[in-house]
Order: sequence, then structure tokens, then C-alpha cells
Amino acid sequence: MGCCYSCKEDNNSQSGDVNERTHLLVDPVSNINVIQRVHSDDFIAQYPNSLPKKSDEQSALNRILQETATNVIDVAALDSHNLEQHEYLERMRQYTQRLGAMGANVNTRWTGNSSAGGAGGSGTLLAPSAMGGPSTSPSGRMHLCLLTDIPAPEKVLAEDHPNPEDLILISNALEKASKALSDLKVEHREDLVVPFRIP
Amino acid sequence: MEENLDKCLEEIHQLPNVIGVMYADRQGLCLGAKGHASNESAGIITAIADQAAKIEPNSKPPVVLLESETKQCFIQKADTVTAAIYKTNVTS
Repeated sequence: MGCCYSCKEDNNSQSGDVNERTHLLVDPVSNINVIQRVHSDDFIAQYPNSLPKKSDEQSALNRILQETATNVIDVAALDSHNLEQHEYLERMRQYTQRLGAMGANVNTRWTGNSSAGGAGGSGTLLAPSAMGGPSTSPSGRMHLCLLTDIPAPEKVLAEDHPNPEDLILISNALEKASKALSDLKVEHREDLVVPFRIP
Repeated sequence: MEENLDKCLEEIHQLPNVIGVMYADRQGLCLGAKGHASNESAGIITAIADQAAKIEPNSKPPVVLLESETKQCFIQKADTVTAAIYKTNVTS
């Protein structure tokens, strides 16, 4: 038959091996007077990394300061960026070279049919010599190009436009048109709603 | 009843250097077009005039001038109507 209880003492559990017979709870009666005294130096030696040393703190602060200094852009201290003449010419040459490499893509319409359309739409609304004319987008469609660069926009814009007489002309045209519009009205001929007469 | 409007169109068209006139209503529908002006451009002309008027909402509507090598186009809007006048470019 089986056995429910055995009174054989278990001395093996105290030898250090953990098995199913080791006591999980320490015997409270016998341990109540045992207070563990740990020397503070031993304690510090046990956990060397948790207390920050004085020198480490300083270096950490310096590191943070260094990072901030590299990342922060001091706008007030920025020097005014004056381009030298040769730098200016060099850059102009580079930019025109790149624009030239884009070629016909610069003149495509803004409808977004071409991937390079973002660079287009250059120049002003004045479109002289090269006015109109088809150009091809990367997708192969023909677009009518209305806007092109002109060589000296400041000359054209500085001219005395528009003529004051033309301004008067269009204002008069508008006035007359507004007056003439008042003649346009709905003529009532027949009733929209008619009664049904059912005999 | 559109006689008066037609008469206006005709009068403007007869002026020297004017090659086209067009009127459009508030919604951009063409009321009348003469000469070089096309009734299909009524919508976009109204839109241009509307947007230009928004630049300075407190002033009266501005005159928009589109200019090419050979032609000019004046656009202005009033309360009920937008007008566009095409002229040849005399300065070039």
C-alpha cells in the first residue's frame, strides 16, 4: 500500500542542492535574531556601477554640452554670407549646366504629367520670342509651352505698363456691360403651375 | 434683350488695336464674345479675375494684364460681369 507520510528526516536539502524537498520558507523561529550586517564598503564594492563617480559625471556633462553645441545652430552669430565674384560665377555655371542637363523637361506644363514638372514654370507671364511651341515631356506627350524664360526680365518689367488709357478702356467696357446686363431678365410668358381640370 | 450687350461688344471691338472682346458672368459662363476672343476661355478668365481680386480684398478689383510678344489681354471683373479685351501689342 502507499504511504501518506514519512517521518524520515530530510538532511539533504540543506546541502545546497535545490530539489523538490528544499524549504521555500526559512524557519521563522530560528532566524528572527539573525540580522545581517553588511559593511557599507562591501556594499559599494558589490555594486560598482550604480553610484556615479565624480569624474564620470563631469565627463558626461561635457559630452552633453558638446552634443548640444554641435546640434544647435546659432542664428545670431552667423556671419553674413557674401559671395565672391568668382564663387558667384562658378555657381551660376553649375546651375545652368544642371538646368541644361534637364533640357526640355524644364518647359513641361505644371499639370504634373512629368516628373521634372516641379522645376518648370520658370520665368514670368511675359512669353515673347519662344512663345508657344510644342515640347515633349518624359511621358512622351506633346505639351504647348506658354511660359519661357526671357533674357532680361527687368527690362520688360520696368516698362510703363499698362497704358492708363487701356485701363480706362476696360473700366468703361465693364460699366457699359453691367448696365446692359440689367436688360437681361426672365420674361414671364406662361404659368409654370397649371390646374388640372378633370371634368 | 441682349441687344445692348451686343452693342457694347461691337463698340469696343471697333476701337483701334482691339482684336477681341469677351464678357463672362459671375459663374464664368460666356455672355458674349467678338473677334479673337473665344467663348471657351470665359471660365478661366473669370477665375483669373477672381483670384487676382483676392490679393487685396479691400481694394477694388484689379486689372490683370497678360502680355505676349504680339498681343495683350486685359481682364477685369465687376460685380456682375467680367470683361476681357484683346489688343495688339503696339509697344513691341
